[in-house]
Amino acid sequence: MEVGAVKLLAAAIVMGLGTFGPGLGIGLLGWGAMNALGRNPEARGPIMTNMILAIAFAEAIAIYALVVAILLIFVA
Amino acid sequence: MAKKKLLGCSLNLIIILAIVFLALTVISFIGSSVGAMILGREPLSFLTVGTPEYHPAAEHPFLGLPITNTMFAAWISILVLFGLFFAATRKMRLIPKGLQNFVEMLVEAAADFIEDPAGKKHGRWFFPVCTTIFLFVVANAWISLIPGFETITVNGEPLLRNANTDLNVPAALAVVSFCFVEYWGFKAKGKSYLKTFFNFGPLGQAIKQIFTGKIKAGLSGLLSGVIAVFAGILEILSHLIRMVSFTFRLFGNMTAGMILVMIMLFLIPWVLPAIFYGLEAFFGFVQAMIFAGLTLGFACAAVMAEE
Repeated sequence: MEVGAVKLLAAAIVMGLGTFGPGLGIGLLGWGAMNALGRNPEARGPIMTNMILAIAFAEAIAIYALVVAILLIFVA
Repeated sequence: MAKKKLLGCSLNLIIILAIVFLALTVISFIGSSVGAMILGREPLSFLTVGTPEYHPAAEHPFLGLPITNTMFAAWISILVLFGLFFAATRKMRLIPKGLQNFVEMLVEAAADFIEDPAGKKHGRWFFPVCTTIFLFVVANAWISLIPGFETITVNGEPLLRNANTDLNVPAALAVVSFCFVEYWGFKAKGKSYLKTFFNFGPLGQAIKQIFTGKIKAGLSGLLSGVIAVFAGILEILSHLIRMVSFTFRLFGNMTAGMILVMIMLFLIPWVLPAIFYGLEAFFGFVQAMIFAGLTLGFACAAVMAEE
């Protein structure tokens, strides 16, 4: 296979597999936050703040995969 | 029959506007490069957008120094922030009005956000750095959304670009954040802040227990003591890795947003990119809050007294 084709394929695989985990993680966080919100609607402030913070951590992993894909397509 | 109103306009107007926007979207999709490829004809001349390319920040050398276009944009956002706060603090009144009122609202919101986890005393330490990081990142992100910002070209290269898309700016902010967190840790705990990294206390206690005769308690304490030492060394690694993750989180989000808007403008030049534009504005704000909030969180963890 030519190098260009393999680079594109690798970028696609990186994004596909790399966002699988963080997507699942963010969904679990949302589930936990909805549960907590349902049990205790008064604690909306801290729950939402902490949820956004934790989602940022999970999203950072997906961003690492994105950076690798960008490197493959545009720089390598 | 009374006219129904939605968003302040009559329903008929909304329907007409929706149809017009939809028609514009479809026309631009069919006429642009992608639609032309699908239909096998030439794209309309006023709808062609250049293929999106990603370059690292372009340099405009000045007196031999490599000054990148992101550096210009960072300077502009510094000037904007400076101008905003300077204009708000001239002729200050006790009961604020106008710009001073708005800026006081921002400062109070930030102070509440910071003092909530940190407490009043530590909140005063953390406030300047965290708020500055937040304002700088948000100014960088939002100034780059002003129409025409990235299209001023000098010698074919853009003169200005979102400063957060240059790897150096998030890296610099991450190093600043790391340095300040360690500084606050030492300021709050003195030399015993090093005990979070070099945690020989439990191991020393276990060995003392073995020598003073309590063998069983000493041996189990030995195991947990060794684990505590390893946990301390992992703390060092975790603190250093934070710099990497801060950098790539901000850089990746901003660069991905920029590329997304570029690609949307290439695919469907009219109407639709406005949605992604709005998304970019929201993400700029969220990433700034996350950077500042995580700095705050790590700082709180560093100064928190062990119970």
